[in-house]
Amino acid sequence: MPVTDVHRSVDAIWRMESARIIAALARMVRDVGLAEELAQDALVAALEQWPGQGVPDNPGAWLMLVAKRRAVDRIRRDRRLAETGAELAREADRDAGPAGGWAPDTADEPADLLRLMFVSCHPVLPTESRVALTLRLLGGLTAAEIARAFLTVEPLVARRIATAKQTLADAGVAFELPDGAELADRLASVLEVVYLIFNEGYSATSGDDLMRPGLCLEALRLGRLLADAAPDEAEVHGLVALMEIQASRAAARTGPGGEPVPLHAQNRGRWDPLLIRRGFAAMLRARAAGGTAGPYVLQAAIAVCHAQASSAEETDWPRIAGLYEALVRLVPSPVVRLNQAVAVGMAAGPEAGLALTEELLADPALRDYHLLPGVRGDLLLRSGRREEARREFERAAALTKNAAERDFLLRRAASVPAGAPGTRDQGPTLGEAAQAFLAREELPPATARSYGQTLQRLRLALGDGLPVAAMTADQVAGVFRTAWGSAAAATWNRHRAAVGSFGAWAEVPHLDARLVRRRDNSSRRKGTSSAGAAGPGEPPGGSDVLRRALQESALRERALWTLLRESEAAVSAVLGLNVEDLDVADRRALPGTSGRHRVAWRSSAAALLAELVGARTSGPLFLSDRRPGPARLRTLGARDICPHTGRGRLSYERAEYLCKTTTGLTLRQLRATG
Amino acid sequence: MRYLMMSKASATAPDEKLFAEMGAFIEELTAAGVLLATGGLAPEGIRLVSSGGELTITDGPFAETKEAVVGFALVEVRSKEEAVELGRRFRTIVGDGESVIQEVFGP
Repeated sequence: MPVTDVHRSVDAIWRMESARIIAALARMVRDVGLAEELAQDALVAALEQWPGQGVPDNPGAWLMLVAKRRAVDRIRRDRRLAETGAELAREADRDAGPAGGWAPDTADEPADLLRLMFVSCHPVLPTESRVALTLRLLGGLTAAEIARAFLTVEPLVARRIATAKQTLADAGVAFELPDGAELADRLASVLEVVYLIFNEGYSATSGDDLMRPGLCLEALRLGRLLADAAPDEAEVHGLVALMEIQASRAAARTGPGGEPVPLHAQNRGRWDPLLIRRGFAAMLRARAAGGTAGPYVLQAAIAVCHAQASSAEETDWPRIAGLYEALVRLVPSPVVRLNQAVAVGMAAGPEAGLALTEELLADPALRDYHLLPGVRGDLLLRSGRREEARREFERAAALTKNAAERDFLLRRAASVPAGAPGTRDQGPTLGEAAQAFLAREELPPATARSYGQTLQRLRLALGDGLPVAAMTADQVAGVFRTAWGSAAAATWNRHRAAVGSFGAWAEVPHLDARLVRRRDNSSRRKGTSSAGAAGPGEPPGGSDVLRRALQESALRERALWTLLRESEAAVSAVLGLNVEDLDVADRRALPGTSGRHRVAWRSSAAALLAELVGARTSGPLFLSDRRPGPARLRTLGARDICPHTGRGRLSYERAEYLCKTTTGLTLRQLRATG
Repeated sequence: MRYLMMSKASATAPDEKLFAEMGAFIEELTAAGVLLATGGLAPEGIRLVSSGGELTITDGPFAETKEAVVGFALVEVRSKEEAVELGRRFRTIVGDGESVIQEVFGP
């Protein structure tokens, strides 16, 4: 065989065998980084010897043997481990077996692979490092390939992997299988990483680099490996079933122009029956493993329902709605609840579905999520509320960033049949009126810009097609609560004034009737300080400014500021707190879990914290207003994501900004007022 | 990418050792999520020939048994080299004979 062909073979063999070899070595040397290094040494030996001697009959066993011998040499050099070394040497010799024979001892392999997965998905690592390390160690991908798949650069991935190995070594992470409650947590982390890899590939479109769809296959392989190594875990089989069935739709989910094709409109003949069957088989294994259905098993069960329907009309919606109800209890994220509304709308009629979406309209996380109005448009259309349906489709089109999807939504809006006579004669629409209002010549540019922001939010939230005459103060108040409910008083009042002005101009005078003017602390600050009210040691803003801020701000801010003042702990330590760190009875964060600083508080903070925590049992104490986007998500660790809401940890920058705009003080200055 | 490997009848009769090795090989590939489907094919096939809009159906077995495909394996791999490597290991186990590997498109 020519040398280049041998090199290509070695490369292919390496990808197929490296995970097993690294896993076995890691068990011997107890260090993932060193294990990979030793495995690489074996690879170099193969590249040197195989072109001359030919590829051995069982190249995987050859590589394993050479790698194990290197490991033994390494261990022997370390005198403290001399005895273990001798034992491992015997193991390596035994594995050598008859020359070139195909009978190495493979009994430990699944357990070794499982240990390696647990280590590379260890919670001590940030999420993106877990992903990179898993693809590297278990997928055999190079740093360059990982970088291409995640649209980043190779040095960054290489550094991430190196840092991750170092972190694991520094933290003394044991190469052992966790047990009991820890096993469930650690397994959840592994499943999360695998599904993250899958979704990264699944969300790629047809024009993307093939490396990205390749991630789906990589995740499937990892899932299948995991199922083989942990056959008693229902959630593992659930995840495999979910991925197999989702992957079965890969060819049907985009149209010829690259536009997404929704599930009900997909050509089911293009679904891959082989993967569906594998998904069903994995689902049966999940059921056989028993236990209460977890999130992956439930999602897989929903996917199975869709796959079993030979046409969209035959879908078993009542069953899917029931599964979503169970899923919402486990994962109450707004997106899951929106999917539940779709299922309920199909199972119990559009009105029931609409009722569920009403609650979601007030959720800031879905404020700019185009699928919410898209779903509502469908439901409204089916319940005969055509004008509202048209407006929701237009609103969805205004929110989506995907051009193909926008065209699709606008076509839907245009195809809504006209409603009863008279519905279209209600005067100018919100979109028309807003444009005319802003285009007036007497409006100074700065004012027009400011008013424009307010009206843009109203247009996105209510739809351009809504007749101005039909707008109600309740609708406006709802938009304000969602968009600016936690904003500073000055911001709220600015938007409120804009609505008042617009309403007066458009001859709908009471649009701002349900908007209460908030006390604007920043404008009063000058007055109080010039009056000399601030005593010694009091903040420049004056104690009444602070008192008012502490009474009138959103719950999260009140809790944070009160906790800072009562504990006088470092701001970063307080923002770094997790719900599970709190010792409510003793009014302190458990030492050791919140980093270096102990945080203790008094009665006011205790009451606010109880309200803030609510039913949450884990995750960051102080959460951001919205769920993080994909880019931000990659920079957050699992510890920084709330398992209940999917929101990220409140950042120092954002907390500082809110504090400054309301109280005029930095967080550290505010802490000193305690 | 998927590859289909089709193997023709081999000259040597399978023995216990071959069955054991093949069993372990199939188990390993299945666990790794590489082997999607595999099976043996009955020698007595049915031949369908269309000509001039007319379909002729002939029951086997056919004369040229040595050319007949007797087994197949559908694998999911990341490169052609991986498919070849799997084929190489398969051929090492079954001994002298012939296989053909082709990439599968679709569905």
